[in-house]
Amino acid sequence: MSETPSLCRFRRVSKWYGAVIALNDVSFALRPGITGLVGPNGAGKSTLIKLLTGQLRPSLGEVRVQDVSAWSAAARSYIGYCPDADAFYEEMSGRAFVRFMARLRGYRRNDAHERSEAALQQVEMTDRADRKLGSYSKGMRQRIKLAQAIVHDPDVVVLDEPLNGVDPVGRAQLVRVFRQLADAGKAILISSHILDEMDTLADQVMFICRGRMLASGTLEEIREMLEDHPLKVRINAKSPRELAGQMLRLNAVRGVQLEPPQSLLLEVERPGEFFPELARLAAKEDYEIEKLEVVDASTEAVFDYLLRQAGQ
Amino acid sequence: MSVDSVGFRGWSERLTSPWLSSWSIARTGLLLVLRRKLFWILLGLALLNFLFMFALIYLKAQLSAQNPAIERFVDRILTSVTGTGDSYLNFMFLQGTVTMLMLAFAGEVLVGSDFQQGGLTFYLSRRISRRHYALGKLLGIGMLVSLTTTIPAVILFIEYGAMTDSLTYLRENWRILLGILGYGAIMATVLSLVLFALAAWLEKTVPLVMAWAALFVLLPVLGRILSRVQDDEDWLLIMLWRNLRLLGSWCFGSVDAGEETELIGWAASIVLLVCAASVAAIIPRLRAIRVVQ
Repeated sequence: MSETPSLCRFRRVSKWYGAVIALNDVSFALRPGITGLVGPNGAGKSTLIKLLTGQLRPSLGEVRVQDVSAWSAAARSYIGYCPDADAFYEEMSGRAFVRFMARLRGYRRNDAHERSEAALQQVEMTDRADRKLGSYSKGMRQRIKLAQAIVHDPDVVVLDEPLNGVDPVGRAQLVRVFRQLADAGKAILISSHILDEMDTLADQVMFICRGRMLASGTLEEIREMLEDHPLKVRINAKSPRELAGQMLRLNAVRGVQLEPPQSLLLEVERPGEFFPELARLAAKEDYEIEKLEVVDASTEAVFDYLLRQAGQ
Repeated sequence: MSVDSVGFRGWSERLTSPWLSSWSIARTGLLLVLRRKLFWILLGLALLNFLFMFALIYLKAQLSAQNPAIERFVDRILTSVTGTGDSYLNFMFLQGTVTMLMLAFAGEVLVGSDFQQGGLTFYLSRRISRRHYALGKLLGIGMLVSLTTTIPAVILFIEYGAMTDSLTYLRENWRILLGILGYGAIMATVLSLVLFALAAWLEKTVPLVMAWAALFVLLPVLGRILSRVQDDEDWLLIMLWRNLRLLGSWCFGSVDAGEETELIGWAASIVLLVCAASVAAIIPRLRAIRVVQ
C-alpha cells in the first residue's frame, strides 16, 4: 500500500474557528482503497472532510489534490463528495437530482444525462430513480447521494457517515458498491462513528480525536504500535493446560490466563514473532487447536486504547 | 509507480463555464417552486389581473376600430389601458402584491432549505464557487419576480402595439419598453437580494413570512402613521415598495422636475442601502459552513 502514490495530501494542516482549534497539525496522504476516518463527535472529522472537499480553507498548512490546492475549483474535478445531510429537495426525483448535480459539474445536457444514468446504474437505482426523493428510504437516499458523488467519475470519493441509519440489506449493497469503486483504483474516504463497520470495510483507518490524528495505517499496523497494550489472543484447544505451559516459554508472550474448560487467553507483545512460533508449535505438537481469535484488534478496541493513550 | 498506472488520469473533458451552472441553479429553483400547488394558485391570481388587462386592451382596440371617434371616450373610462408609461407602471405595481406573497412562501424552497437542510454542501462540493451559487439563486428569485411583473407587462405592451393599425406605437414608445425592463430589473434585483438575505438567516417559511410582512406591510403602515403624526412626508421613504415605485416612475420618464427628482434621489439611496445591507448579510452566511450538525 505504501508504494502506491497518494492523490490527496494534508501537510501540517490546522484549522481554527475563532479561538477553537478544530484540526491541529494534521498530515496524511490518501491512497487507492478504502480508508476509514474514525473519531467521536466533535473530533474534527467534518472539518477534515470539508477541507479535503474544498469547502473550507486551512488556517495553516496545505491540502492538495493531485497537484492543485483543494480550495481551487480544479481540485473538485477529482473529488466526489457525499455529505451526511439527506433531507434535501424532497419534491425532486432521484434522477433529476443526479442530473442536476452533473449539470453543476459542467456537463452539457446530453453528457449529464449519460453520466447520471451510468451513476444510477452503478448504485443499482435506475428503476427507482423517477420517484421523489421524499419517498425514498434511508438506504435509497444514501445511494442517490452516492450516485451524485460519482457522477463525474472522480478519483477520490469522500463519504460522510454513508451507512448511518441504513438497514442491513441496504448496508450490504452499499458496501458492495464501495468495494467496486475501491477495486477500480479509487480512493474512498469513509467517515464513521460506527466502529464495527470499519473492521471489515476499511483497508486503512485514520483515528482522529480532539483535532489531532492519533494514528493512521492498517488496523494491524496500528495495533502493533500499541506496545503498552499487549495483543489479547484467545485459543480454544483440547489440552489447554499443556498449551499454556508451552506458551509461557515463548518470549513474545507476556502472560497466560486459563479460561476453563478449554480456553486460554494470552497477552502477546510481538505478534509478528508470536504467530509463526504458534504455527510451528501447532504443527509439531498435537494440541488440537480448535479456534484462535484476536480479542482486541478490532477498530473499537484499538480506538479505545488510542484514546486512553491520548488521555494520558 | 506513476500516477497513471493506478488509474488516475488528468482531467481533459470539455465542460461548460461555471457561470452557466448559475442558470441550472436558477432553473431548478424555479421548477422546485412550481412543483407546489400554492404557487400555481398565486400565479393564477397574478394571471387574473394580466388577463383582465389583456382583455381590456383587446376590447378598447375593437371599440376604437368600430368607431374611431369614441377612442378618447374609452381612454377616459378605461384609464388603466391608455398605453402610456403610467398604465404599465400601475400594472406592475399592482402585480407586486401577488409577487410579494409568492416570494414570502418561495423563500424557504429557493434558499432557506439549502441552509436548513445542508443542501449548500452539495453545491459547494461541485466545480462552482459561492459566487456562482449566489448568482444562481438570485437569478431564480429574479425570474419568479419577472414571471409575474416584467413578462406580463412586456406582453401587454406588445399587444397594445399589435392592436393598432401600424407599428407606430411600438416605434414611438420604445422608452416605455425600456421603462418596463428597467422597473422590472430594479424590482427583481432588490427583491432577490432582500429575500436571499432573509431566507439565508431565517431559513423557515413562518419566520420568513413574518419578516417579509414586517418589511412590506408593517413598515409602510408605520411610515404613514409617522408622516401624519409628524406632518412630514419624508417618513414615507421607509416604505421600500413605494421607493421602488418611485424608481420605476423614473425609469418610465414620468418624473416631474424639482421636488420629485430630489425624492427619487433619496429613494434610490435607501434602496441602495437596503441592497448593500442584504449583500452584507448574505456574505457571512455563504462563508460559514456548519461543521458540527
